[in-house]
Amino acid sequence: MATTMNAKDSTTSTPTRIVWAVISVAFAVLSLRVAFGATPKIVTDFSNSIALSLAFGGLVLLTHYLGLLSLGQGALVGVGAYAALHAVNDFGAPVVWMPLAGLLAGTLVGAVVAIPSLRLPKAYLALLTLSLAVAYPIILKQVDGNLPVTLHGAFVAPSWTGIAEKDEHIWEFFIVAGYAFVTLFLVQGLLRGPIGRAFIASRDEPEAARAFGVPVYRLRLYGVALSGGMAGLAGGLLMIPTNFNDYTHYPEELSIKMFALAMAFGGSRLISSVPAGLVLIFLPVWLIDRNWVVEYGWVGLFKSEGFIYAALLLATAYLTRGKGFMHLSERRKSETSVPVNRQASAVADKLVAIEDRLNQLEELVDERPDIRSRQEMPD
Amino acid sequence: MTDSGGMSLFLQRTFDSLANGSAYAALAVAISMVFRSTGVLNLAQGQLAMFSTYIALVFATGPSPYLKFSSNTDVLGAAWPIWAAILGAIVISMVIGAFTERVIIRPISADPVAAVGATLGLYLLLGAFVRKQWGGRTMFLGSPFPQTVDDRWDIGGARLWHDTLGITLTMIGVLGLLAVLQRRTKVGLAFRAVTSNRTGSVMVGIRVSRVLMLGWALAAGIGALAGGLIAGEINVRPDMMGRLLIFGLAAATLGGLRSPALAFIGGYLFAFLETMLGGYVSFIDSQVTLVWALLVLIIILFVRPSGLLPRGEAWQQR
Repeated sequence: MATTMNAKDSTTSTPTRIVWAVISVAFAVLSLRVAFGATPKIVTDFSNSIALSLAFGGLVLLTHYLGLLSLGQGALVGVGAYAALHAVNDFGAPVVWMPLAGLLAGTLVGAVVAIPSLRLPKAYLALLTLSLAVAYPIILKQVDGNLPVTLHGAFVAPSWTGIAEKDEHIWEFFIVAGYAFVTLFLVQGLLRGPIGRAFIASRDEPEAARAFGVPVYRLRLYGVALSGGMAGLAGGLLMIPTNFNDYTHYPEELSIKMFALAMAFGGSRLISSVPAGLVLIFLPVWLIDRNWVVEYGWVGLFKSEGFIYAALLLATAYLTRGKGFMHLSERRKSETSVPVNRQASAVADKLVAIEDRLNQLEELVDERPDIRSRQEMPD
Repeated sequence: MTDSGGMSLFLQRTFDSLANGSAYAALAVAISMVFRSTGVLNLAQGQLAMFSTYIALVFATGPSPYLKFSSNTDVLGAAWPIWAAILGAIVISMVIGAFTERVIIRPISADPVAAVGATLGLYLLLGAFVRKQWGGRTMFLGSPFPQTVDDRWDIGGARLWHDTLGITLTMIGVLGLLAVLQRRTKVGLAFRAVTSNRTGSVMVGIRVSRVLMLGWALAAGIGALAGGLIAGEINVRPDMMGRLLIFGLAAATLGGLRSPALAFIGGYLFAFLETMLGGYVSFIDSQVTLVWALLVLIIILFVRPSGLLPRGEAWQQR
């Protein structure tokens, strides 16, 4: 999880900027090609994957910047979808702005889950979010019933766009892409600044960060709320191409798959969330196209989505120690850019070891107060 | 309703909560044992229990076109009695638990994120295996205890079923044995030493890796027992343990994830709460009790973050 910080983290060289500019232009051209050239089904799938990449961005923020585990990101997406849909259906909100209701709801639920669990070891956040992931479909079924709830609104492109009314999927694609681009841009900017560095400090050296005045608990709380907000926004955006919502959309397995992909593709850049979104949406499509989902037995197992995700998780855990495959290249870069003072590192390691031993001794003394009292007793 | 009628209804609901409470308590104890010894939250604990229940089902069914384990269904021979099938599943589950610790967790145990990721990988792998090997249909294992309508005692106007009491006593007995193993034997002493100070344990010659492997094996065995016993009540499905895992996790939280004894009490407490809420509060049906358990969990973490553990002990984990 620990990404070594260096001075180059917050600045970008000119060649890198050019590379990013070229990638951005290529991405924009590809998006236009997809929007106007692909079938409505493919365009809708792309819209969904772009929306979900925001939720993955939230997960990357949590796992790779804050070192926290959330296993309920799928449920937070569902919360956002629910809020967005009901903002339109029950409160008459304009459809174009409905994802903001998702953003708000996701942020609130994220904060509510985070407030108690962040005071405890990190495992508690994982535990509570997993519980949320399991409970959410049950809650939604209870609240909305068994049948899907349809959005009362349509996305008609303005006349200046030249998009025909029957091609609403193209307009929906652009709305989703616009929201996602702006959000990822803003959050990436946030993470590259002092807040991002404070996140990393609170992840790698929380005690040192506290000593330097970083409010670690509050920072983590903001991080989880921001991550929840991104997931909620993703849920709101999913309602744009999908137009309906029901409890089967957000099973707990969705959260676990999202965690697997965020872990595998994660790195210190939010852009790594884009391939994760694409895999989540297009892998099942690819499996169905090949009729692999209907195969059973051992062959069926190896061709199943569950096996693929399990293999991905285990490979990420083993090969990258949970840091994600993108991190491998980042680590090489940071290793070459920062000369390591081996002697200083060895002294620091020994100091840490001594501190650990002292802590253990303290614990032993706490467990056996009689030893201390005997020691302190005058002869 | 008269007072005696209300009392017998309360008693009935208390009895009804016992079987579920046993399963929650067993899972909570298993989760606490693993977390306490290795610091890893084993999220695959429920799936391991589900998988071993299917193994018990295979043993108990004998050669069957629906439950074949390989193309040669005669490998397993005739159907086994349910007790023997559950015992067989426990043994296999313990082997899988030890294997998981040795092969999957130990190489990456230094990194908690990787370790939790690996347990989630196992979660998905076991779910996929069961769905692809035996399908997603609901199956019936049966209880090792008598389950006919006459197999009950009438106590204070409430019915205490033999299998409910059997499950509860078995679970209490097994977990009691586990406590004795931990407190009275050399293996238990080694386990306690490892959980309290791993470095010190190495220095006094305890083979920490073996002890940890044993801890995972025991946890898997307890989960398998819980799955096998509760299968007669809730039937066997690939998602049968999802709900139980959440209650198990909530119960383990009561013990600060570190105290198997408090986790055990928490299991029965949550089952009691679930049954009473579902029974007495009109707008809460059996499905929504899970949500209330989640709410209770959040409230507990708000009010008392360390669970029922003394505060200092839980806060040391940070």
